[in-house]
Amino acid sequence: MASASLDLIAASTQISQGAEAKVYKGSLTQGAPFILLKYRFKKQYRHPSLDALLTRSRVAGEARALLKCLRSGVNVPGVRMVDASEGILGIEWIDGKSVRKLLPGGAEDEEEEEDDEVLEENGEPMKEYGISVDTLMSLIGIEIAKMHLADVVHGDLTTSNMMLRLPKPNQSTTELVLIDFGLSYISTLVEDKAVDLYVLERAFASTHPDSEPLFTSVLTAYGTRLGSEWHAISRRLDDVRLRGRKRSMVG
Amino acid sequence: MDFFHFPHHHSSQSVAHFALFRDVKNSQALRKRIIAAATIEGADGDQEREAVNFAFIDARLITGRLHLQTAISQAILADSQGAIRTKSVHSEILWALNPTNNITEALRRYGVSDTTTDLIVVRVGEANLDSAKIQELMEEVVLGKMVPFSELKNITDWSPIKKYHKLIGEVAVQESKGNISRERAIVDNIVISTVAVKTVMA
Repeated sequence: MASASLDLIAASTQISQGAEAKVYKGSLTQGAPFILLKYRFKKQYRHPSLDALLTRSRVAGEARALLKCLRSGVNVPGVRMVDASEGILGIEWIDGKSVRKLLPGGAEDEEEEEDDEVLEENGEPMKEYGISVDTLMSLIGIEIAKMHLADVVHGDLTTSNMMLRLPKPNQSTTELVLIDFGLSYISTLVEDKAVDLYVLERAFASTHPDSEPLFTSVLTAYGTRLGSEWHAISRRLDDVRLRGRKRSMVG
Repeated sequence: MDFFHFPHHHSSQSVAHFALFRDVKNSQALRKRIIAAATIEGADGDQEREAVNFAFIDARLITGRLHLQTAISQAILADSQGAIRTKSVHSEILWALNPTNNITEALRRYGVSDTTTDLIVVRVGEANLDSAKIQELMEEVVLGKMVPFSELKNITDWSPIKKYHKLIGEVAVQESKGNISRERAIVDNIVISTVAVKTVMA
């Protein structure tokens, strides 16, 4: 037996894989709620000691960002376990769907396994969540504003990294949850927050056809929630649109 | 009497038995006994240490089952990696519960004190330990009434929990003012997450 956490991974069900990590659904003990395990596996192309160092600091960074968001009232999954030396982060399982799948165009290349589900829902994908597309956009704006007010910059805002939590029968409000803080960092700079919004704008444009009005309502809700800082960020966002995400680095 | 089974941990410490005691009468004597047990030498010492080989947790500061489970599971994990910061897996549970890195403070806040009346007693051990036997050992050290763990909801004291985690001024708690069940759900989630993130907080 190599390590307890790897045994935990082995006993869990893999649900997805990326370049950086594999994602599993599992449980720590019988009867406990499900957790989502994000396993940053060993990278053979990196020197082992560099790999250990990077993995450790990324797991730690993601866990700390989540905790900071929780304390600041941003809807994010709670942290349930951390094993930084094995590269494992366990977070609360969110029952729901990614915003990407709920908006037109987002479900297109997801034909595997789920095709019947998608078809059935094509007409009214958001019916079971009880909100309109417009409300969804303002929820997105508010959640990002809350996060930026806490000086957390997400670093990878896309509609795939937002989920609508399936409302419980006794609860009337629908919750939008931000996920995947793997690229997040702390910053107070207007530039970083504006780029965060710009990245989302591009993600909207490339994933969901004719979505300009949608993103406009995201920004409206964001600006209202953010208050006085919005003016500066809005102006900077205009600059970023002209030059792109990277600031020109001359010299 | 209840237990958590963590199938991924080594069988030598894959089970944590725990019980909630109310109306505990001997907390002052118990605290002295635990401290004294640490310094007794020879076979008597080993026997005495074995008798108090539990984690004794002030139940008022525990928000629920998942809070306790998270602290126990992180403590076992640290122990299995040889990374515990305290002397045993049981004291490590108390360390995991306290948001700061100060061990004395963790033991003072979350451990048994002279005025404790509600205690959670935990024993981490082998998968095949007899739970009736453990219950007997617990009842030998704690003079109190063992009650179902679900009674914890009447014991949890939210104001020191908020104070120790410095949550009173936090946005999340401010926003849920006036809605007690929502505020408690939020505090519960933050507290559990704090325990889980503890090992990587600077």
